[in-house]
Amino acid sequence: MTGPILVTGAGGVGKTTVSAALGVAAAQAGYQTLVLTVDPAKRLATALGLDELHNTPTANKTLPTLWAAMLDSEASWDQIARSHAPPDAADRLVNSEFFHAITRHFPASQSYAAAEAMAQYLDERRWDVIIVDTPPASGGIEFFTAPTELTNLVGGRLFRWLTGGAIPGRRELFNVAARPALRIVDIALGSDLLERVGAFLFDLRTTYDGLRTRSQEIEKYFRKSTTIVVTTSDPAPVTEAARFFKELPQVARPPAAVVFNRTLPTAWEKAEIPANTTRPLARNLALWAREARRQETVRDEFAARYRTKIVSIGWQPTAPTDLESLAALIDETGLLTDLID
Amino acid sequence: MHQQLLLVTGKGGVGKSAVSAALAIEAARRGQKVLAIGMVEKRGLAAHLGVESLSYDATEVRPGVFALGIERPAALDEYLRIVLRVPKLSRIGPVARAFDALASAAPGIRETVTMGKVLFETRTNNWDLVVADAPPSGAIGSHIRAPKTVAELVGAGKVREQTRWMEDLMGDRARTGLVMVTLAEELPTVETAETLKWISEEGLIGVAEVITNRILEPLGARIPTDLSTPIGAAAALHGGIFQEQQRWLAELPDRGRELPYLFGVTGPVEVAERIADELEQR
Repeated sequence: MTGPILVTGAGGVGKTTVSAALGVAAAQAGYQTLVLTVDPAKRLATALGLDELHNTPTANKTLPTLWAAMLDSEASWDQIARSHAPPDAADRLVNSEFFHAITRHFPASQSYAAAEAMAQYLDERRWDVIIVDTPPASGGIEFFTAPTELTNLVGGRLFRWLTGGAIPGRRELFNVAARPALRIVDIALGSDLLERVGAFLFDLRTTYDGLRTRSQEIEKYFRKSTTIVVTTSDPAPVTEAARFFKELPQVARPPAAVVFNRTLPTAWEKAEIPANTTRPLARNLALWAREARRQETVRDEFAARYRTKIVSIGWQPTAPTDLESLAALIDETGLLTDLID
Repeated sequence: MHQQLLLVTGKGGVGKSAVSAALAIEAARRGQKVLAIGMVEKRGLAAHLGVESLSYDATEVRPGVFALGIERPAALDEYLRIVLRVPKLSRIGPVARAFDALASAAPGIRETVTMGKVLFETRTNNWDLVVADAPPSGAIGSHIRAPKTVAELVGAGKVREQTRWMEDLMGDRARTGLVMVTLAEELPTVETAETLKWISEEGLIGVAEVITNRILEPLGARIPTDLSTPIGAAAALHGGIFQEQQRWLAELPDRGRELPYLFGVTGPVEVAERIADELEQR
């Protein structure tokens, strides 16, 4: 295997469906394939063989080369604390309300947990193909920058903000009176919040060396990865897709392809309407033809601007939810061959 | 909707920013003085209002519609000045930095600063209506719970004193309402139902309306048997999506206005204006 296949794009465009379709196609081609996903629709989860919440890889009953796992970022974080902090500090961390606040609310936190899980399965070398349905991000290439962001956060950025300079010793931090700014903050927040957060930050910092080493390993995998961007032809997801072309080359290879989901047939744009067509049906085609034309303009502009391979997936009323129709979704696009050969 | 503050949320990709802009435009057409706020992700709202970006100071972006985007450093600065009663001209940098560091670890504080700005603006009574393009439904909980979380976290102090009026204003159903935007598809429907459930259980904010976006009208004809022609294929697609949409609409516990699918509409401003037209009529 060369590296992971990372499926990115804005929320609601069908990333999970495309990830699953690629997974099924690769598994059917005989590759041991693992799909890592975040929050699949129920019917899609069932198709993948994830009837219950599994955050360890599970083989599909009808297609045993297809494996899937759901990413549970909360559980991943406890594991991250345990593998990088000394046992006593790890115990305090996983029970700390501040730890849960950071892991839940730090923007790149879910991305980091997913990247860590990806690296763990790549380390195991049990699969030929690993496909990551990247978690919803606060935008752009967050999935790729999360390891560095988090390492910086843990490594002292919080401390430096707190004290305005070097990373302090335990005693200096709590000598609140010595720093007027901290004194004001202490008054504003009352009670002993400053002290509690300070103690937490010391525990958090014990994960720094481990996290830094791990982040470098994850970034090495990113550089070997193949990214595909999924979008629809709507303005917001297209803008999001464009960001990957601008930002990704800083940290990994540029996207290998962009998948336009929910595409309408271009043949509708100039279709002739037979004379015996009823008014509602003629009007209906006219509406969808306008939409097809709008979509084509968007795709053409994108292709001209970013000179990338464009793959179109047709609009289907219901998302496919069995293995055959998932594979059929990308069968004719040639996407799999592009990615794996 | 009669509320003075509308917090607009929904799953990513459902058109939350477009509906926020449209609600503001529609109210301004009725002669109201409106403030539209981009709370976290501001580009969408800016685009739908036809401006490059949103500044922290409210600016009139079209007749009757003012807009601002919350920037955390500026919001924190303003928040600390109000909480600590620090005059405008004095230096607050080191305090803000230290506070920000604490805020990144302490649950609720950062969200209180963001929600604080929205609630401060509502409380000034400068505006007939404040429409906030709020974080998506996956992240809205930490914002709605923020004043409560902070009150539980810090036993006393000036920050805690500020949380009470925030909770009161947010919980006042006559003044504040949550607008949920959704699509008639599986994941948005499930997420909307889950959000409405905990919103009602926790009772921290009232729901003003659930707006479903991109709804198809009935085809108005039978689907032809020959699906190989564009007429047949387009009819089958329309009919199929319509059926699927009706199925998910029926699963919604609470339904307000439905907005139509906008065929062939390209620009974000046109989208917002067309939605405003629909809101006006329905």
